[in-house]
Amino acid sequence: MEPYKFDVNNYRNLLKKYIASQDEKSLYQAEQFSKLSMQHNISPEEIINVHIQALKELYPDLPTEIDSSMNFLLETMISYGLAYQEFQSLREKQGELESEISIAANMQQTLLSTTKPDIEGMDIGAISVPSHQMNGDYYYFVTDESNNLGIAIADVIGKGIPAALAMSMIKYSLDSFPDTMRSPSVILEHLNRVVGQNVANTSMFITMFYALFNYKTGYLQYSSAGHEPGFYYCAAKDQFFEIKTKGLVLGVSCQVTYEQLDITMEQGDMVVLLTDGVTECRIGERFIETEEVLEVIRQYMHLPAQEAVESVYRHFERLQDFQLRDDFTLIFLKK
Amino acid sequence: MITKSSVQINKEWDIVGARQMGRELAKDLGFGTVDQARIATAISELARNIYLYAKKGKIAYETVEKMNQKGLKIIASDQGPGINDLSKVMEDGFSTSGGLGAGLPGVKRLMDYFDVVSEPGKGTTITTIKWVR
Amino acid sequence: MNLNIERIDNGETQELKLAGEIDAYTAPQLKEALLPLTKNEGTTVVVDFEGVNYMDSTGLGVFISALKSTKENNSDLRLVALQERVRRLFDITGLDSIIDIESTVRGGK
Repeated sequence: MEPYKFDVNNYRNLLKKYIASQDEKSLYQAEQFSKLSMQHNISPEEIINVHIQALKELYPDLPTEIDSSMNFLLETMISYGLAYQEFQSLREKQGELESEISIAANMQQTLLSTTKPDIEGMDIGAISVPSHQMNGDYYYFVTDESNNLGIAIADVIGKGIPAALAMSMIKYSLDSFPDTMRSPSVILEHLNRVVGQNVANTSMFITMFYALFNYKTGYLQYSSAGHEPGFYYCAAKDQFFEIKTKGLVLGVSCQVTYEQLDITMEQGDMVVLLTDGVTECRIGERFIETEEVLEVIRQYMHLPAQEAVESVYRHFERLQDFQLRDDFTLIFLKK
Repeated sequence: MITKSSVQINKEWDIVGARQMGRELAKDLGFGTVDQARIATAISELARNIYLYAKKGKIAYETVEKMNQKGLKIIASDQGPGINDLSKVMEDGFSTSGGLGAGLPGVKRLMDYFDVVSEPGKGTTITTIKWVR
Repeated sequence: MNLNIERIDNGETQELKLAGEIDAYTAPQLKEALLPLTKNEGTTVVVDFEGVNYMDSTGLGVFISALKSTKENNSDLRLVALQERVRRLFDITGLDSIIDIESTVRGGK
């Protein structure tokens, strides 16, 4: 089929053919014509104008009533034409914003990247998946010279971009702690002051669980700033225990002290750290129960740690029909 | 030859008068039907803004010439509250979101030249030109 | 996902009866209703949670803002009739140590 230019002659011939035969082919060509017009940013009133001209050429004795009515239609379409142009320009702007956000999300990944350490005798798995482009969850690993592994898992309340900005602050504060100061309660007390000073007067706050693990002795100390409790799996008893300590979320009150507890991990034991994206999972109309979460973990925990956390994630993703409502972060620490 | 004329905007019906005068001048200058309709719509928008936000003001018309081109200049002026945040008002989606109409970005699209000067508390003057194609 | 907010004006005591879910979508609505009440010196703001079956962390943010506001304006904030699931959230986050929460805990559905 011959291509149509936006041209009165073309339109007139098309119209003439259609009026004579009322065939589907002409209508199909009219559709092509309108698509071509859109590509060339031709506004609705201009199409009507072309129609008026074509009509007058085909029927020089057009009744004045029809002529006036066509002019009336043209006037009416002007505002639609404007709305269409505005829509086009807004769509362009949206495209720009989306690409900016995706650049920011990439940047966030680079800024916040943490390397999962390779420690002999330990098997570590970690996964963090944002529900939107920017992740409000965060995990962080750090090792020192005295066989210690520090693990932080955090959740910024408030999602998206503001949360991501706050997370960078946490990461750089964590980086600045000297090795000698890595006791979980001390770290949380410091971070609480940092957050409090920087997010005052907002409803933003951050929850964090911090664990310091000596991988030679299996001794694990932990503190929580209002974070979702993790679990300790004791192989000898084949049982899960909640690991929970009392402590206020970061950034709400200036002077807070954090309780610090400890456990000693034996061969085959495992520690599970997570965010509320895991525990607040919705299955249809109801929420998942802790026992169900543990059942899912149990189902996959025999796998290598990284494979296990990924399997648990995929399991939850399916449970929620592949629509995460919240950022999802899960860490397995297997000895 | 340069002609000048103007229409006072004091009540809603004056918007019709302003459109009418703009359309007649446009027709005389040789504008086509589509451009006549565009000019009338732009005048409508400017006059409505005056009526809604400044209560009273004026739409003035001038025929202008450059090289071998003729054009119609439309100046909308008022002593109303002025516009605080011009860049906001010139943003797409700002005035249209509430169904208020095409807004100033619309006027800018309808015309070939657009300029706005506004001082909060003192008033606003919008100058636009459409050239005969 | 809706939240109904009913305000009962008892002079010095202002009560907000909530019903529904508090999440990212309804939290702004709650904030708008709650924050102005905390700005009046000497007022006790009572929030009735009996009809709230779900709250997420965005909701906690609203109560943290409200708490900060009561400190600045010398007013009081009290939360009553929390269902177990909602109560747990205040418990885990340690906010129960700084917000006045009625001790009676009602079971969830």
